[in-house]
Amino acid sequence: MSENSNTYKIHFLPNDQNVEVNEGSTVLDAAHSANIYINSICGGDGVCGKCKVIISDGTVDAPASKLLSKEEVDKNYIIACEAGITSDLQVLIPHETRLEGKKILLDQNEQHTMTWKAILGQAGFEHDALVKKICLKLEPPTMDDNVADHERLYQAIMMKQGIELNVMQTGYSILRKLPFVLRENDWTVTVTLGHRGRVLEIIDVQPGDTSSNNYGVAIDVGTTTVVACLLELETSKVVDSEAVYNAQMKYGEDYIQRIMYAMQNDTLDEMQRSIVADINKLISTLVERNSIKLDDITSIVCAGNTAMHHFLLGLDPERIRKEPYIPTANFIPPIRAIQLGIDINSRGLLYTLPSVAAYVGADITSGAAAIRLDKEEKPTLLIDIGTNGEVVLGNKEWMVCCSASAGPAFEGSGIKHGMRAAKGAIEIMHITKEFEVSYSAIGDVAPRGICGSGLLDCIAEMLRSGIIDRSGKFQKGIKSDKLRERDDEHEFVLVSKEETGIDSDIVITQADIANLIRSKGAIYAAVSMLIESMGLGINDVHCVYLAGGFGNYLNVRNAITIGMLPDMPASRIKFVGNTSLTGAKMALLSEDAFEAVQNIASMMTYFDLMGNQKYMDEYMSANFLPHTNLDEFPSVQEELSSLNQQLSGTN
Amino acid sequence: MEIANIVDKCAGTVSEVTIGATKDEGGTRGKVVTVGGANSIPFMDFDGSPGHKPAIAMDVYDVAPEEWPEPLLKHYADVVNSPADWAKKCAEYGADLICLKLDGIHPDKGNRSADETVSTVKSILEAVDLPLIIWGCENDERDNEIMPKVSEAAKGERCLLGGATQENYKTITAVSLADGHNLITQAPVDINIGKQINILVTDLGFPTDRIVMFQTTGALGYGIEYCYSIHERGRIAALSGDQQMATPVICDVGHEAWRAKEAKASDEEAPQWGSFADRGIMWEAITATTLIQSGVDIIRMNHPESVSIVKKHIENLT
Repeated sequence: MSENSNTYKIHFLPNDQNVEVNEGSTVLDAAHSANIYINSICGGDGVCGKCKVIISDGTVDAPASKLLSKEEVDKNYIIACEAGITSDLQVLIPHETRLEGKKILLDQNEQHTMTWKAILGQAGFEHDALVKKICLKLEPPTMDDNVADHERLYQAIMMKQGIELNVMQTGYSILRKLPFVLRENDWTVTVTLGHRGRVLEIIDVQPGDTSSNNYGVAIDVGTTTVVACLLELETSKVVDSEAVYNAQMKYGEDYIQRIMYAMQNDTLDEMQRSIVADINKLISTLVERNSIKLDDITSIVCAGNTAMHHFLLGLDPERIRKEPYIPTANFIPPIRAIQLGIDINSRGLLYTLPSVAAYVGADITSGAAAIRLDKEEKPTLLIDIGTNGEVVLGNKEWMVCCSASAGPAFEGSGIKHGMRAAKGAIEIMHITKEFEVSYSAIGDVAPRGICGSGLLDCIAEMLRSGIIDRSGKFQKGIKSDKLRERDDEHEFVLVSKEETGIDSDIVITQADIANLIRSKGAIYAAVSMLIESMGLGINDVHCVYLAGGFGNYLNVRNAITIGMLPDMPASRIKFVGNTSLTGAKMALLSEDAFEAVQNIASMMTYFDLMGNQKYMDEYMSANFLPHTNLDEFPSVQEELSSLNQQLSGTN
Repeated sequence: MEIANIVDKCAGTVSEVTIGATKDEGGTRGKVVTVGGANSIPFMDFDGSPGHKPAIAMDVYDVAPEEWPEPLLKHYADVVNSPADWAKKCAEYGADLICLKLDGIHPDKGNRSADETVSTVKSILEAVDLPLIIWGCENDERDNEIMPKVSEAAKGERCLLGGATQENYKTITAVSLADGHNLITQAPVDINIGKQINILVTDLGFPTDRIVMFQTTGALGYGIEYCYSIHERGRIAALSGDQQMATPVICDVGHEAWRAKEAKASDEEAPQWGSFADRGIMWEAITATTLIQSGVDIIRMNHPESVSIVKKHIENLT
């Protein structure tokens, strides 16, 4: 054994967890092996600076990093992914680096115990679950009526459901137990029927009437968060929902990094197990909390981006990343959930909603179905802002879509005090002309950071109050000590340390602003490219649906003021929250909805914007507040000029 | 059969900017220069008004230029240390305007004080009666210190002051506004930034019809194609009705042409390139005549002979 194989004990606080690692491992590696989550956007490349930890005992081999302020260096902060372990350590993970208060915001319309009948009705979908249980009272056989058990069951199903005999199919294990089950409760049985393409499968046969015990789970398999919702399929009632952060985050915050990680380290299996474990954890929480039997969950519908579906199904994602960007499958047939290791009824089915292309996934097709884009007469836009920004334009006759590499800024990533829409995130912000900041944080606790809607408000309000100009630059002449210089960068203090729930002021930096402007520019450029590619103008767009995990609340006017959304009356813009999950729920409850998603996926035309010179031009002109072409934002122009006059009046 | 004359009419008109103020107008200039006003593609006067013809500004520096090649320097050898005399010479060579470039205030090039600079400006105003362009050294700190003083000293003369950049536009915009000067907005061969800087200065209340745009110039062989197409795109946008682009344009031909190696290499260094005495003149003249075609309104130049070639060329075209 070489002397390099020394092992060291690492003690993590405040988790109070110990782990032994080999010399040469980094502190981030140690945290991974202890299963402790540490923020890391770059996945360990030493560039994001999010994995800051404090070494409270022991020594590490850490290079000097520009990502740490002088104050932080004095307090023994290090960048966990760069610090090689050279002794036993005690590591304190500070607030801002921890993923705390596991509760992730769920959609507001996620009010429990409400049935989805009305929502389905409104969308024009019939309530007819993909997997349903029906109770049948069979006539017992006699000498005159000597039809075999299996065919007797088929006839009864045909009589009750009007289903043709030749589309039904039964598995071997069901056949073996069939005669006993039929006779166990005097010919009263409950049949579980599931759609598998054109075939209707008899998934299970149970004695007696158990038709009311039929549950399904809709899952939004997001790159950042995984949200599961438990539904009672017969009544269409939402029973409960739960969310976790995607544990794959330790392999990289965006899926491109994860694909690279999987390929370089040959860990596709491990990463599949990770996402399956997240889903199992969600389901077991839901099952326990609502005292239902795992066996009564008969179906799952998943909506996620193309890469997450590949990870979930263990399909090789490598070609998603490389030209010409080819997924293994966009349309994935239903399979038994158990094949992936997901614990529900052992014969329960898992449906994955279809994708369009490598960078436009089922989250978008599902979202388009949820807002019934396929029923719109006039051109309508769906903008989904996640880790990428996807845009769909269309109506019942045609749909075009594209993916804008907007980056995760509006999810809080890559922003100094950005965070996801979780407890403690500032979701509403207002700044006065005297530069006083008022805000509201989720959960009414001391703020720990700013989520998407808060960041959007922040940019719009700083522009209105003259803290920044239209290029996003801080106006150094303003009379406020909140604008200051730290570590060679200008920043504006939004919340001072005494008021926050973290160990520092909450600020927005010049780099943050530039990042957010680039992100909104990418989204707007994609929107205008799509509109223009169809020979339309913004006034031809009847309605804009804005989806994404910004927070509970989104100020549409501010989204226009900063030039993320086109200038149009706010009444024509609707903030619709997590449409990916909404679509998955609809598909679970309604075969019509499931079909609608399939149709939408096949009718969407994908426009690739990467390397498109026109897109680059559009993007460059959108990197301004609200835009370089002021003519495209007449109402913002009017608002800002009148504010400008007021401001110059007060100076 | 008579063939109808089809006129290609444009929706937009480039604004007119007047540089210099006569006694009646509160200044001391003997003549003023108005540029802009085009509402047709350059020199296509059958489609509309091509506006005022391009004006030539000749450069005067506040410090003696260090790297001018002999064929250029010989025309100014006796005046490079006296900006006022230098300006007089430019007037004799036929300049429409004088462009005083304040390289000497740069910390690396002499770090000249505000007082010295102000007296240079005053001496030029006394020496010639041509309108004046005064351009800083592109060191933000020094420009922000000196330009307000210079602007104040030339108050009433309706000069053209430069340049406002996206990183540093507030001070120069404010003083130009206060002292009644015109303003050069500057962008790095980028149509978006060109527009954005115009929006930023108009946001401060600066009137659009006192702005002249500068897109940074590339000489023949040094990016002239890129520069040409940016000017052309800008002008077409202006003529199509884009207000933010509808301002006259200035280009810096002299400085760029004379630092090209083709203008600087001596006969011994490059015998195959033709006569050293003529090369730089041709380089400057061709750069200028090419850019005129893209619609520029003010051309900064250096060599008297190139100036006379370009003036003749303009006369021929108009």
